[in-house]
Amino acid sequence: MGDYVWFHDVSWHASYAIYFFIIGISVGLFFFSFLSWHKAVFEPLREKAAYASFILLALGGLLLIADLSQPFRFLYVLNPAYLNFRSPLAWGALNIVSFSAVSIAYLYMIRKGDADNAKKLAAVGALLALGLPVYTGFDMTVHQSRPVWNTPLMPPLFVAMAVVSGAAAASFLAARDEAMLMMLRRYMLWSAGAVGVMLVSLLGTTAYGGSAQELAYEILTGTMGKLFVGLGMVAGTALPIGLMLAPAGRKGSGLMIPALLILLGGIGLRISLLMGPQIVQTLY
Amino acid sequence: MSEERLVSPIETRGVAGKKRYAMVVDTRRCIGCMACQVACKAEYDTPLGVNRTWVPYKVVGKYPTVKKQFLPRLCNHCDDAPCVRNCPVDVTYKVEDGGFILQRYERCIGCRTCMASCPYNARFMLPAHRTYTPITNVVDKCTFCFHRVPQNLVPACVQTCIGRSRVFGDLNAPTSEVSYLVARNATQVLRPEEGTKPQVYYIGADRNQTEFGRDAYRRPDVMEPDRSAFNNFFKV
Repeated sequence: MGDYVWFHDVSWHASYAIYFFIIGISVGLFFFSFLSWHKAVFEPLREKAAYASFILLALGGLLLIADLSQPFRFLYVLNPAYLNFRSPLAWGALNIVSFSAVSIAYLYMIRKGDADNAKKLAAVGALLALGLPVYTGFDMTVHQSRPVWNTPLMPPLFVAMAVVSGAAAASFLAARDEAMLMMLRRYMLWSAGAVGVMLVSLLGTTAYGGSAQELAYEILTGTMGKLFVGLGMVAGTALPIGLMLAPAGRKGSGLMIPALLILLGGIGLRISLLMGPQIVQTLY
Repeated sequence: MSEERLVSPIETRGVAGKKRYAMVVDTRRCIGCMACQVACKAEYDTPLGVNRTWVPYKVVGKYPTVKKQFLPRLCNHCDDAPCVRNCPVDVTYKVEDGGFILQRYERCIGCRTCMASCPYNARFMLPAHRTYTPITNVVDKCTFCFHRVPQNLVPACVQTCIGRSRVFGDLNAPTSEVSYLVARNATQVLRPEEGTKPQVYYIGADRNQTEFGRDAYRRPDVMEPDRSAFNNFFKV
């Protein structure tokens, strides 16, 4: 007992996972606001989604800053003399700031009624929004000593999780618009399916053997197992897909429960993916 | 026809005209007195609960022939350090002549990405309160005693090591003691598969005992409450 065990702390705490979750919804909502310029069915969502996305972005940014042990130094990441472009975090900081600026300009154009410029800004914003889950994934992928993180699946997984969370949040903003809810159902189904396939691939490769398997135990058992397998994979991915395929899930009113489950599953997945691989490492 | 093979430009081992400091830890000579840990604590006013160097152990053998196998640990001052490339604001940097991995405390934002990237858990967050030293709430780690080495002093842990288990010197100097030890003994480094090219070399360390043991999966019920209580109290 206690052999080779020392008091190491995990590097990133659960607040970072909450940030991933909030920023994921923000990205998804902005994506649907952008889509509203190209799909008429999403038009009623345009303004609401853009505002909700910006509020969540601000909340996520504040959470990220508060999570720094030196929060007042957060502007250092914008100082060109300090920036280290080999770090995914540096790119992430630039991405968040530019996405925030474009979001503000986009909201201003919407309020002003300047459709041409708003449409262009929506396209630029959607690209920057895509960068947020991609950088989040890279943030974890680059850590070569953490097998569950160190897989090229992470960026696309976070993109799919952002789309599914955004669609789930958008279904609460859709206000019983049946046509829009049916379109959101398709997005939820396909992106939840993509998340499911990637999670199975992740487990298939990490649980195959070696040190990766040893770390994968952490997300398959105990508290992390309940969050990853129970809440994330079963309750947050498989069950909502099943409910949406059932007759009740083919109606707008039947989408609320799957959407809620997807959001809860999104929190569980992000917490377990972030924390699980760190826990065994603390004992090294 | 000659063929030139490209090597990482970041490596300083074997580069002519440059020093490459390294430490050799002869685990056969370590008696687990923890004097290195105490000397390091005294040198840097390292707060309670965190360590720049630490000496974990494993009980090996079968009664009556059992012994404690010690494995002194510290920052490996990697030649290809992941903490250097991961820091978003260039806080962590490598000293070209010497290979020390150091950091600029006044610039650290405390994002902890360097802690996440270190395969050796060598980095830690300094608590918010310290008795004598005003450096708080930033990430810290072993510096190979950068302030002592240019004055021809060895690091504090090496100076105090009663069994001469720790030896420090320039690997690029063929006549140094570390060069001799590395050349004449079978040495191991921790987690070589990570490609970090660590510069702490162990003599007599058994890889079977330096990797995660099965104990890692059994929650250390004796220590976990202590760790939680400590972390809560000091807001680590």
